[in-house]
Amino acid sequence: MNEFYQKDIISIKDYNKEQLEKIFTATDKLIQLDPSTRREISKGKTMAYLFYEPSTRTRLSFDSAMASIGGNSLGISDISSSSTQKGESLADTVKIMSIYSDALVLRHPLDGSSRFAAEISSKPVINAGSGTEEHPTQAIQDLYTIRKEKKKIDGLKIGIVGDLKYGRTVYSLLYGLGNYDVDVHLISPESLKIRSDSVYEIKKRLSFTESTNIEEHIDDLDVLYVTRIQKERFPDEEEYLKVKGSYVVGLDLLQKMKDTAIILHPLPRLDEISPDIDGTKNAKYFEQAEYGKYTRAALLGLTLNENGF
Amino acid sequence: MEQSELLVRRIKEGTVIDHIDEGKGLQVLNALRIDGRDGSLITIALNVPSGKFKKKDIIKVENKFLKDDDTNKLAVIASKATINIIKDYKLVEKRRVSLPNEIDRIFRCSNPDCITNSNEHIESVMDVIDKEGRVLKCRYCSRVLDVNKLKYN
Repeated sequence: MNEFYQKDIISIKDYNKEQLEKIFTATDKLIQLDPSTRREISKGKTMAYLFYEPSTRTRLSFDSAMASIGGNSLGISDISSSSTQKGESLADTVKIMSIYSDALVLRHPLDGSSRFAAEISSKPVINAGSGTEEHPTQAIQDLYTIRKEKKKIDGLKIGIVGDLKYGRTVYSLLYGLGNYDVDVHLISPESLKIRSDSVYEIKKRLSFTESTNIEEHIDDLDVLYVTRIQKERFPDEEEYLKVKGSYVVGLDLLQKMKDTAIILHPLPRLDEISPDIDGTKNAKYFEQAEYGKYTRAALLGLTLNENGF
Repeated sequence: MEQSELLVRRIKEGTVIDHIDEGKGLQVLNALRIDGRDGSLITIALNVPSGKFKKKDIIKVENKFLKDDDTNKLAVIASKATINIIKDYKLVEKRRVSLPNEIDRIFRCSNPDCITNSNEHIESVMDVIDKEGRVLKCRYCSRVLDVNKLKYN
């Protein structure tokens, strides 16, 4: 039996390097399969999604991943039109949705929501973003992209820039990178540094430097991971306006980077990466989005099939 | 009996919580909800000399015997405390507090955005990830919690 069968995907911290490598190998295999064979992997299986926060990208990525392996999806992407508006608890909604499906994909604004849902659900729960806590499938997609584009993860120098306080993708990526021998440089405005209550967990896994100056390590980086300053997570707009547009990656900055460096972004972006970068060989964020579809398809395939694929 | 314990009246039946870190006595009273409303005799001594350069707090409560939840709270607030059970003026049991591997229900997660602070029917669970350093982590939101800022359920 494959070890991921029927297992929840709640936190990237639940995975060691060996398990991540198995997921990456499965993704490699899935990409190489011809589409008709791929569509046999989860034929007749149903994925339910439950999105309590607006999302197009992640939900469509899951949808498209499930379709590519022959499965169906159903769910609620606009929670304002659902029975939750009538006051139904998350617990009840999860219980019902797990009756209708083989796996449940949940995005919710509260931290810990996926772990709670997993206790309630009779089917595996996949965390598609829980508050500012984690976004494990994004981290798997990010690590896969680095591995694919740089041919390795160990030994790389990785800069992460932007909103490190509220960005859940950053936390999951850092926990995931903790499995590898990497140098990490965190770059953010002072007010958006990583949260002190998460530093303990991160420091257990890897060492990092912090800076407010994006140029400090720029000539040394192999990977620059750019994140959006998320307006929706700020308690008040004035604070947001103070840091909006703090870092913009443009051609001038790119010229200072290694020729072989890659630029990633979990998307959507606002103005933090100039469109001038899009056509360069260093821009890999659209490839990253494509790899997201395959890594999610591989995760779904492994979760739903006892013997893998 | 140590001389310091003679500072306050002996109790017939109850609990003496000794070796509470200096300054934590009132926090322990609050956490264990010892407020004297049931009419029991409570005596508290703060800043009692203990050893050459140190001080400690002591609490004596008549007719109260600590439950597991109380002991766990005490272990988080004052890890060096000892619990002395008194019956008929005699010390019948003396034990040190120690942190369990997990603490259920008694503390609220200090992260306001944690699912355990929502309207869902859910109880808090804290995993003790470092007993020596008294480091607790919310099992749901994974935040590492500041033991000095914990709120009680």
